[in-house]
Parts: sequence; structure tokens; C-alpha cells
Amino acid sequence: MRAKCVSRDLTCAAPNSVYSSQYNSLLQSRGTSISSLPLVEVHGISKAFGGVQALSNVSLNIAPGEVHALVGENGAGKSTLIKVLSGYHRPESGRVSVSGADLRLGDIAASEAAGIAVIHQESTAFPHLNTEDNIFVGREPRRFLGLLDRPLIRRRTRELLERLGQDFNPRVPVEELTVAQRQIVGIARALSKQSRLLIMDEPTASLSSRETDILFRLMRQLRSEGVSVLYISHRLEEVFELSDRVTVLRDGQTVRTRQTAEVDRTELIRMMVGRELGDQAAEQRPAQPSSRVMLEVRNLSRAGVFENVSFELRTGEIVGLAGLVGAGRSEVARAIFGIDSPTSGTAAVDGRNLQPGSVRSALQSGVALVPEDRQHQGLVLPMSVGENLVMVIQSLLARCGFRSSRRERPVVEKMIRKLDIRAASEGAAAESLSGGNQQKLVLGKWLATEPRLLLLDEPTRGIDVAAKTEVHSAIRKLADDGMAVLLISSDLSELLLMSDRIVVMRAGSVAGELSRTEATQEKVLHLALPSSDAATTAVGTA
Amino acid sequence: MSKKRAATKHGAGLGIGQMLGRLARQREYGMLALLALTVAAVQSINHSFLAAGNLSDMLVQCAPAAIVACGMTFIIVMGEIDISVGSMMGLLAAVVGVLVSKHHYGMSVDLSVLLTLLLGGCLGFINGLLVTVGRVPSIIVTLGMLTVLRGVTEMVLGGEWVTDLPHGLRFLGTGSLAGVPICLIVAAVVAVASIVVATQTPLGRRIYAVGSNPDAARIAGLHETRLKTLVFTLTGFLVAVATVVSVPQLSVIESGIGSGFELLVVTCVVVGGTSIKGGKGTIVGSLLGVLLLGTVRTDLIFLRLGEMSTYWERAIQGAFILAAVLVDHLVRRRGTVEAEA
Amino acid sequence: MGRQRLQSFPYWHEVILAAMLAALLVFARSVAPEFLYPGAQAEMSTHIWELALLALPMTLIIITGGIDLSVGSTMAMCAVVLGLSYQAGISPWVGALLAVLTGAAAGAANGVFVAKVRVHPLIVTLATLAAYRGVAEGISLAKPVSGFPAGFTVLGLGSVAGVPIPGLIFAVALLAAAVVLGKTTTGRSIYAIGHNELASRFSGISVDRIKLALYTLSGTAAGMAAAVFVARRNTAKADIGQGMELDVITAVVLGGTSIYGGRGRIVGTLLGVLLIHETREFVSWQWSRDELIFIVVGALLIVSVLLNTVLSPRRR
Repeated sequence: MRAKCVSRDLTCAAPNSVYSSQYNSLLQSRGTSISSLPLVEVHGISKAFGGVQALSNVSLNIAPGEVHALVGENGAGKSTLIKVLSGYHRPESGRVSVSGADLRLGDIAASEAAGIAVIHQESTAFPHLNTEDNIFVGREPRRFLGLLDRPLIRRRTRELLERLGQDFNPRVPVEELTVAQRQIVGIARALSKQSRLLIMDEPTASLSSRETDILFRLMRQLRSEGVSVLYISHRLEEVFELSDRVTVLRDGQTVRTRQTAEVDRTELIRMMVGRELGDQAAEQRPAQPSSRVMLEVRNLSRAGVFENVSFELRTGEIVGLAGLVGAGRSEVARAIFGIDSPTSGTAAVDGRNLQPGSVRSALQSGVALVPEDRQHQGLVLPMSVGENLVMVIQSLLARCGFRSSRRERPVVEKMIRKLDIRAASEGAAAESLSGGNQQKLVLGKWLATEPRLLLLDEPTRGIDVAAKTEVHSAIRKLADDGMAVLLISSDLSELLLMSDRIVVMRAGSVAGELSRTEATQEKVLHLALPSSDAATTAVGTA
Repeated sequence: MSKKRAATKHGAGLGIGQMLGRLARQREYGMLALLALTVAAVQSINHSFLAAGNLSDMLVQCAPAAIVACGMTFIIVMGEIDISVGSMMGLLAAVVGVLVSKHHYGMSVDLSVLLTLLLGGCLGFINGLLVTVGRVPSIIVTLGMLTVLRGVTEMVLGGEWVTDLPHGLRFLGTGSLAGVPICLIVAAVVAVASIVVATQTPLGRRIYAVGSNPDAARIAGLHETRLKTLVFTLTGFLVAVATVVSVPQLSVIESGIGSGFELLVVTCVVVGGTSIKGGKGTIVGSLLGVLLLGTVRTDLIFLRLGEMSTYWERAIQGAFILAAVLVDHLVRRRGTVEAEA
Repeated sequence: MGRQRLQSFPYWHEVILAAMLAALLVFARSVAPEFLYPGAQAEMSTHIWELALLALPMTLIIITGGIDLSVGSTMAMCAVVLGLSYQAGISPWVGALLAVLTGAAAGAANGVFVAKVRVHPLIVTLATLAAYRGVAEGISLAKPVSGFPAGFTVLGLGSVAGVPIPGLIFAVALLAAAVVLGKTTTGRSIYAIGHNELASRFSGISVDRIKLALYTLSGTAAGMAAAVFVARRNTAKADIGQGMELDVITAVVLGGTSIYGGRGRIVGTLLGVLLIHETREFVSWQWSRDELIFIVVGALLIVSVLLNTVLSPRRR
């Protein structure tokens, strides 16, 4: 039976793990030993989007049979690196080699063929198909008359699930499985394709501790079989528990790769955060003595997403909302704005409760939300700059329902000027603008409503430094003029620079609040990162 | 942006997910129950409902819809639609009639049937090409095709009716083998083959995969173009099959044949649980839909509500879709906690 | 560079349609000039008004990314209401009003399912296509009603200063539709919904309300079309308008409205309707063979969309 094991032919029915034996024979044929040959070598990868440099000369290597952790703040470039490795993006420069052979970049099929597999959190490749089909579709083993070899599929699936320690029903559509189980399906598929590098992006974010234990046991097992795992996580204690080496990315560059055993949490955070605080002097914003509470959120909850969120926001104040992706920040903003309905709790603007789930109510109370996804939520891309700018207030500017360009034009021009939105013309389609200008367009659209409360969700994501600075000063000016601003951002330095106060969320609840004077990147991260024991690392003052 | 479910939901997700799943899969059971109920109700009011002759008549009546519904299920599962099947049937009926009639071409029955089957496949193939390579939305392609074929049918028939159908052809429509009407045998064969293809072959799995997640399917190397073209071609062929075994039941072939057929078939498939968004749906469900909807007219007759009541047939068909849709909506509402704006 | 400029010219489709129309008319003039005489044209125009009337709200609906397959059946149901009420002794003008109200209610039902229950419009209107037709057949028992007084049939056959009355109705509706789509904020919202419904909701546009209104409007137009039809043909029965929805959709898509939503103009729809109408009448005039009409119209539809894909590859 061994003789029939050719590449990824699934009639290969070797009883135990095929992987280590196949890999060993591969290595033996190359005359090298396991430890010296890196499995994946990343060399000098650079990738930019628009004007933003997401990755810059990133290099690292992953040994076979290694669990290699990749850490860094939001926006450090981890996701982009994964996408380059999986072939989704093509970098401008650099190379990647797998087992010594150069990998064709920007080609998903090539990455797959080289044995790289990405296990996404929501790994529902084909939601309506069951586990067996998900694992084997596209490479189905057959028997007589071209029919599926169901017994073989069943057996292989059972074997895979068993060694992954799972016993859920493989014939149920995967959309009915839990997130953890779906991940396992993704892993099973990768393994069935003889993948040698599994990339896992925040795999434990939605898992219970029991499921996490199972996953870890799995990863250790894979490691012993010669399969490597590139593990991205914010949970530093997991990094310490599981990984052999850890690479830190910051601002698109590799900081260091270290043996996990040789670093501790403080040092890791310091590497993630860097020392750039000195560059930007945090301006002390003048206190607003006559300010009143503009937004009062009280015990706001949305079942399964966030719970008991409470905080205040005063006129003229910029409050930053920090937290990791998935902490529930955007969801809170959306619940306040009325796009989503909260299950309990209240949000009051200027003393008056907002009607839950009603965008209209929010608009009437002077609330504006600049959403996270500017392209899909913030703008109607095929429409012009002018049309997008007046979209929210168009009925106010209209005369008996008729569009009035006479009334719209001054508003449009004023906003273009005020935010310095650069477009070919007022009639140019929004999709022709650069990322930064699109973001300013969305901002302008909402500023045109002259709100009292401005909720900003990642307002400077993916825009270049110059545009970022412009947006920042615009926001600061608005606050100076009395607007209450809630700033959601994954960019810690931005939050520290702009906020008078920072509210930190973690896994759906408020973990803490820091005033401007006491906030540091370490402290914020400390609050934002999930930690099993709160008593660890007493991070030094200031 | 993140659609992550918090760990708190885990326990609840397990229960509700499985319950929902059972409910959804129970669509077939629900339909079976409804069918049984309907039959029982009518039978209790009019005891001759289930008499052998009537039963056979009802099933024979359902046969063409059942045959085409198999192909249509695949099409809708892939996220497309084909509303030209009615006009296709009209044209194919005219073609087979004209080929076989002594007034026109006087071909042998075998040859005529063969050519008709071939033509059906070709028509489906054209639909498929326009949708995949031409990138014209399937609703438009089949809408245009529906109109074109209606015109071609008129041309083929030249305004006349074909009345001299030879015995060989009529046998296909009215004859039986071992006591079972031919059209039922054919329908059964098609149904079984479709179920086997859908559930037991790589082809079937890939069709569902493409419908479930076209992007992932592309990454997995599945040929969306080939699969879609195949599915349209198959449906065209199946329309020809259905035509050949049902139309000869009539003694005349005229140009109105097949009108409204596409509506019936799509309704049956959708009521049977196939989602218009793709990825979900079973052949069995569609067949149950055919049984349910195809017998409405007979139900009405046998309920002795008066001879005029059969006029409500279409209204009931429409009501069925709305009911099915409402049920889906309520089931979905209760299960989902997270909402995406 | 030139190609890009060409591709960014937004009125290509209308230009092509106008060219095809012109070509047809030129051809007609050389082959059968009597076709173009105003008398002949006026006589032929009686067939066009229902189609034209229905095409207007259909355009708006398709621009939002929806569709309404039930217009033919709604028309039948409204006609039956008209017929039965006349039979019951009610004045046909009041009956016509009832017909329009029935249409509005039917359309509103569609709208509720699409906007509130959030069911795919293809499915909803497929269901009501069957349901409304069935109701029409059921309550009329498939028996036609005729014998309407001349004072009423003038609605369909009469004219004012040489312009047929249905034509006037259509002209008013055309103007209203063009103005709403081109000049009001609601029109702009309709395009926005078609382009990106999510962003429209985020921007405070009342998506549900607009959709409900559009489907109601479509039903109302079907009611009006029914009244015109009954007046013109002097008969009200349950099988009218069969297949009408397909003709309407053909005219709208032919006119350049994208089935995916976000694009389309009333001018285009008008040209589409005209093109279909003149083609149909000319073929009927010259060769009096109906089947050619079907073939040409169906082919026109497919070819026009193919062309669209080629000329403006910006598509999903």
C-alpha cells in the first residue's frame, strides 16, 4: 500500500501519520537532516497599498516541526504577511522559499501546492456542505463508475478527526458546527492535503478554554510530526505556552525573532511597542470647564457581543476606545448609532435616551457614525464626491424633495476645502479617490450633518501619514469647537496622541479607563490583552 | 467588522445550531407530512381519490415537472435560474411532432426522438455558454431565450397543429411497461440518477460547493464555467426527455404547450427547500414539491368544492411559496442572534 | 486613452438604441413608407400603452436591484375587479378607481414581503404572479365581462387633440418618473440603494420605505394599465397580461437598466419601449408573422446585455 502513496493521492491508505514518514523520505532523498533546513524562508518582503507601506523588508524563517508565533499590534502587518504567504497578495519585492524551492508569489494555487495552508477563524469554506465534503471537495477519492468512495472518505475523515481529538458528526453541514469545530475542519482539510505549514490567525479568539486546550494538544502533536505552525495571537500567555520561537512585527518591519524561552512578557510588549513615544509630543488639550455630558452609555449590552458597557463623553472631549479586534468596539458604536439593536442598556445624548435600533433617532439627536469599512459602509463608490457628501443631509437641502444644486454646492465646496479632499473634480466618482481622500470624504459627509456627537471608527486606517495628520488636526479642531468625539482606533499611538481619556475594552466588556496623563502604550495593551492572571507584570508607572 | 462570536455564545450556539439544522433538514419531512395530510384529507372526503386509476393519473401528470425539476434544482443550487424551460418544451414538442409527422418529415420515431433530445441539450448548452462565457445574468439569458423559442416554435409549426402522431410516439406517452406508465419509469430513473449524482458523485459535490461559496470554489480549483454549462445543458436535455414522454399523451401538438411550465417547476424547487441564493437544496425536496403542487388541481376536483374551484389552483400555488418563505424566515429569525446590517 | 474616454461616456447605451431605432425607421421608409404615416402609427400605438406604463415603475425597481414579476397577474386581478364591479352595477369609472386601489394593495403586499420580511423579490413576485393570477381566475370564474359603455371606453380609445388618452396618462407618468429619478433626492436614493444598500442604510436613507413605495407604485401602474386595457378592448377577463412582465422587463433591460441595480434611465426605458414596439409593429406590418417578432425581441434583449458587458466591463 505504501507504494501507492504518490504526492497527494488519497487512495493512500497508510494507517498512521503519513506526514512524518513522507517528509522524512523527502528529506532523505535530499540528503539533509531535519533541523538544519528551514521549512519556510521569508526574505525582504515589502508590500504597499496605495501610499501605505504595510510591510517593509520583512524577513523571518520557520523551521520544520516548529510552532512559530507572530506578534505585533493591530496594523503591524501580520495579516498582510499571511496574505503574502498564502498567495493572496503579491509583494513588490522579496522572496519566499519553501524547503529551499522558491515560491511563486501572488499565486494562491502555488502556495497551496507548496504545502502552505491558512486556517481562518471563520473557516467555513463551504457552509452548506458537511465536514467530509469540505475536506475532500476538489480532490475526491473515487471508486467504480466514478462514484465517490464514501467508505474511504468516511474512514479518512474519521481518522483525521480522531487524531485531532474530535468526535462531532462529520455529516452535518459545517455551518451548523461551532466555530471551534469549523476550525478543526479547516485543519483537517489542510492536513489531508499534506500541508506542511499551517498558518493560524487568532485561532483561540472564540474558543472556550477546553477547546483551546484541545487545540494546543493538537498543535503539539502536529509539531512532533514535522508540521509547522505559524501562530498569530495577541494572547501572550499562549505564545509563551506553545511557541518555540516568536517574531515581533512593528509598523511593517521585523523587530526580532527570539527563542520564546528567552523572553518574558514585559520585553515582548516593549518590542511590540517600541520607543517612538518620544517623537510625538502629546499635546495637552485645554480643559473645557463648561462642558457637559453629551453621551452617557449605561450598561449597554448586545447578547453575545458585548455587555455592560458604560462610559461618558463630554462636549469638547475626545475619548479613545481601545481594544483588540473583536473586543466589541465597533459593535458598541453601531449599537449607539442604531444600526444594530442592543439587547439591554441605554445610550443617552444630551440627557435624552436614544431609541434603540433607530438610525433616524440617532440622526435627529445629532449623532454621526463614520463607519469602519469606508468602502462598503461609508461610501457609495460609483457615485460622485458631491453626491456622497450630501447623502445624509440631502433631504434637508432639498426644496420640496427636489435636489437643489444651488444649496448643495456651497456645502460640498466648503467640505472639500475644509478637509482638503483631493479629487479630479466634484463630479468625480468616489472610487477614483485615494484611500486617504475617501476617508476624508466619509468624514466630510458626516460633518455636513453638523453633529454634536461624532463616533469615529478607525478613521485613519489604511491612509498615509500626511493624510493622517490632516484628519487628526481636523478632529482636534472639531473637539475644540465643542464636539464630543468617540475615537475608535487600533493605532495606539494615535489614541494616545489624540485622546483626553482612553476607555479600554476587552472581550466585550470595559476593562478599564485611563486618563491622558496616566496612559501609556504598555498600560493600554496590558488592559486590552487577555491575561489569565491579572496579577502578572505590574507594568511600571508611566 | 469582526463577525466573531464571543466565547459566551459557545454553549448556546451548539444547541441552537443543531436544532436549526434539524429543522432545516426537516423541510423534507415537513413536506412529506403536509403531503400525507393533504392526501388523507382529500381521501376522507372523497374515497375514490386514492383509487388506482386516479393515483396513476396524478403521478403521470407530475412526471414532466419531476423530470425537469431535477435539472432545475442543480441550476438554482448553483445560484442561477432557468425560466426558458416552458418555451423549450413547446419548441421540442413542435420539433418532435413535425419530424415524425407524415405531412412534414415523416422520420422514424427513434430518429425523431433522438434529434429532439439532442436539440434540448444544445439549447441548454447555449444558455449555459451565455451565462458563463457571455457573463449575461441567467435571468436575462433565459428570459430572452424564452421569447426567442416561442417565436421559433411558431415558425416550426407554421400555424398548424400536428395531429397525426404515429403509434410509436404515442406509446411513449401513453404506454406502459409491466403495468407502469412509461413516463413514470423514466421519471423514476431520472430522479434516482439525479439523487445519486447529487449525493454520491464528485460532480454533485462540486456543484453544491460552487453554489455554497463561489470564491472558495475558485480557490479550490473547481471549474465554475464548466459546471454551470453542464448543468444548463443537462436541464435542456431533461426538458426534451420530459417532452418526449408526456406530450404524446395529447393527441395534438400545438403551440401553447409548455406555457407556464417554468413557473411551476421553479415554484416546486423553491418550495422544496432549495434556496434561491444557492448552495442549499435537495432533489428529494424538489420532488416532494412537485407532488405537492402538481396535485393541487386534482385535490381541488376531488374535494368537490364545485367545478369552479379549480380556478383557484394557481392562487394556491402562489400561497405555497409565500408560506414556505415565511416559514424559512421565522426559523431563521429565531436562530440567529448576531445581525449584520 | 481614447478608449478610456469612450468608456466613461455614460450615454452609450441610449445612443446605440437610438441608432437602432433610426436604422429601423430608415429601413421601413425605404421598404414600406406607409408604415411611417402618422395615421398608421397612431393606430398601432394602441398596443403600447400598458407596456409603457408598467415599464416606468419597473425601471425604478430594477435600479434598486429588485424585480417585479407579478405585474401581468396584478393587471389581470385588477381587470377582474373592474369587470365584476361593473357587473354588480357600479359605474365603470368607480370600478376603474377600485382597480387602481386593488393594484396598489397588491403592490404593497409585494413591498411588505420584500422590505420588511426581507425575502428576495424574485421569490416574492414569483409567488404573487401565481397567487394574483389565481385570485383573478378564481373570483371571475374565468368568465369575461364586456359591454362597457362608450363613455368609459373612451379611456382606452379616445383621444384629445389627436393624442390618445392613454398616451396622455403615460406622458404624465413619464414626466413624473423622469423628474423623480433625475431631480429628486428620492431618485438619488434609489440609485444609491442599487449601488450599495448597506452604505445607504448607514447614511440614513429609508431603504425599506422606498422599496415599499416602489412596489406599491408598480401595482398601482398595473391597476391603471388594467383600466386602460379594459376600456380599449371592452372586455375584462382573468387571462389578460399573461407574459406581460417579461415584455416589460425586456423593455427596461433593453433600455440600459442593469439587472444588478444602480444604473438605468427613464430615457433608456422609453427608447427600449419604442424600439420593441416599432420592431414588433413593423415585423407584423411587413411580414405579418408573429413568430419573427418573438425571435427578434428575445435576441435583442440578449445582444443588448452582451454589448453592455463588452462596452462597460465595470461589473461584478
